[in-house]
Amino acid sequence: MNDTQWPRYEVFQQEAEGKPVLHNGTVHAADIELALLNARSVFARRPDATQMWVAPAEQITSRTREELAADPPAAEAAGAAEAYYIFGKLAEQAQASLLGEVGAASGEAAVAAALAQFGAEAALRWWAVPAAAVLKSDPADAGPMFAPAREKTYKDQAEYPVVTMMRQLRAKANTNHKDTENTK
Amino acid sequence: MYGADVEQIAIELNEDPQKLADFEARIARGEKIEPGDWMPTEYRRQLIRMISQHAHSEVVGMLPEGAWITRAPSLRRKLILIAKVQDEAGHGQYLYHAAETLGATREEMLDALLSGKAKYSSIFNYHTTTWADNGAIGWLVDGAAILNQTMLARCSYGPYSRAMVRICMEENFHRKQGQEMIILYSQGTPTQRAMVQDAITRWWWPTLMMFGPHDADSPNSALLIRWGIKTRTNDQLRQEFVNQLAPDLQACGIQIPDPELRYDEASGNWLFGAIDWDEFWRVIKGDGPANAERMAARRQAHEDGRWVREALSAYAAKSQVQL
Repeated sequence: MNDTQWPRYEVFQQEAEGKPVLHNGTVHAADIELALLNARSVFARRPDATQMWVAPAEQITSRTREELAADPPAAEAAGAAEAYYIFGKLAEQAQASLLGEVGAASGEAAVAAALAQFGAEAALRWWAVPAAAVLKSDPADAGPMFAPAREKTYKDQAEYPVVTMMRQLRAKANTNHKDTENTK
Repeated sequence: MYGADVEQIAIELNEDPQKLADFEARIARGEKIEPGDWMPTEYRRQLIRMISQHAHSEVVGMLPEGAWITRAPSLRRKLILIAKVQDEAGHGQYLYHAAETLGATREEMLDALLSGKAKYSSIFNYHTTTWADNGAIGWLVDGAAILNQTMLARCSYGPYSRAMVRICMEENFHRKQGQEMIILYSQGTPTQRAMVQDAITRWWWPTLMMFGPHDADSPNSALLIRWGIKTRTNDQLRQEFVNQLAPDLQACGIQIPDPELRYDEASGNWLFGAIDWDEFWRVIKGDGPANAERMAARRQAHEDGRWVREALSAYAAKSQVQL
C-alpha cells in the first residue's frame, strides 16, 4: 500500500429498526470519525438507514468456510476477553450480516467461539469485529444524518410512471390511426 | 487462446495450474470472489482496469449535466438534476472503493485519469447544447449504462457486484426521469418537439458506441467472460438496447437518425446501420468535441480540493499524536 493512502474502513448499515445490520461497502478516510461522515455521504443518499457503523478493516478477522476447514481456529488465546461482533455471509449473493456478539481474547478465538455458537455451516465467510474498534452513528444524530433522504421522493424511480405514459402514447397513436382509416 | 483448457491458460498467464483450476471451479459454482481471496494476477488487473474506468466515467459524467443545474427550467427539474449529479459522484465513490479492495490506490487511479492515461466513457466527451440533452442522457445514455451494469451486478467479484446492485437501483431513477422528460416534450409545443428531435439525433450514435467495439475487435472479452466478469458481449448488449429504444422513440414520434434501421421479423431484432468507428476511436484517443475541456475541469477540481485533503490528513496526524 502506498503510504499516502488513507486506511480502509468497512461500513455497516441498518435500514430500519428490527432489520439486520448489514455490511455495505468500504470507505477510506484519514480517521474513523471522518470515515463515518464519508460513509454517510456515500451510502445514505437513499432513505434506507437508521444507523451506520464503521470499523477499521485491518482490525477485522476474516475466515472463509474452506479456510476454517483446512485450518481450524484456536479457541484459546492469551489475554483478557473482549467483545466481538460476529458477521456472517450467509449466501454467495448476500452481504455479510450481524449474527451476534461473542467474548474472546483474540479475533481468531472470536471466530472459534462464533463457530461453536452459530454452527460451522451457518456462514460461508465469518468476520470478527472488535466491538471497541467500531464507531456507531449517534442516535441523536439520526435526524440530520438520515432524515434528509426521506423527503426527497423524487429520487424514487416509482415517481416516474413512464411505462403507463408509453402505453397511453401507443393507445393514442392507435386511435388516431383508426380515425384516419375511418375517414378514408 | 481463452477457449483453451485451464493448463494452457495457466502457462500463458504464468499462474499455478491447480490454483487457477480451483479459482475457475469457484466461479463455475457461482461463488463470489472476495478481497483477500486468491485470484489470478490478470483477473485483478482486468478488474482494476474496468472498475477504475467505470469510476472515472461516473466522475467525468457529472460535468455535461452539471453544466445545466443553474439553467433547469423548473424547481422540480433542478432538484432532480442536482440529485442525479450527486448520485454520479456517489457512484464514483462506490467504484473507487471497490477498486481499492484489489490493492489499487486512489492516488494511482486519479493520477492515471488526470495524466490522460486512463480512459473513461467516450460519451462524456460530447457537449450538452440544449436542455433536452439532459433528457436524452437520462433515457439513452443511462439506459445503455443500466444494461451493462445489470450484467455486471452478476459479476464474479463480490465488491464490484454489490456496488453495481446499488448503482442499478439508483440509475433507474436517472433513466426514468430522462424518459419522462423526452415523452412530455415529444408531445409538447413545436419548439419542444424540435429540441427533443435534435437531442436524440445527436446522442443516438454516440450512445451505440458506448457499448464498445464489435466483439471481433474486443480483445479482453473472452477472458472476462470465462472468469464471470462479463456474461454478455458488447454486440449482444448493443442489440438489446436498440430493441428496447427503437420502438419507444418511434412511439414518441421521434425520428432515429439511421435510414437502415428496421425491424427484422425473422430474428426479432431491430437491425441498424454501420457505426462510425473512426469517430469512436478519435473520441477515445482524446480528440472528441469536449475531451480537453473535461480534463481541464477535472484537473482544476482536483487542485481546488487539495487544501481539503491536506487539512484532513493534518487533522488525523494531530489527533494521533494526542493519543
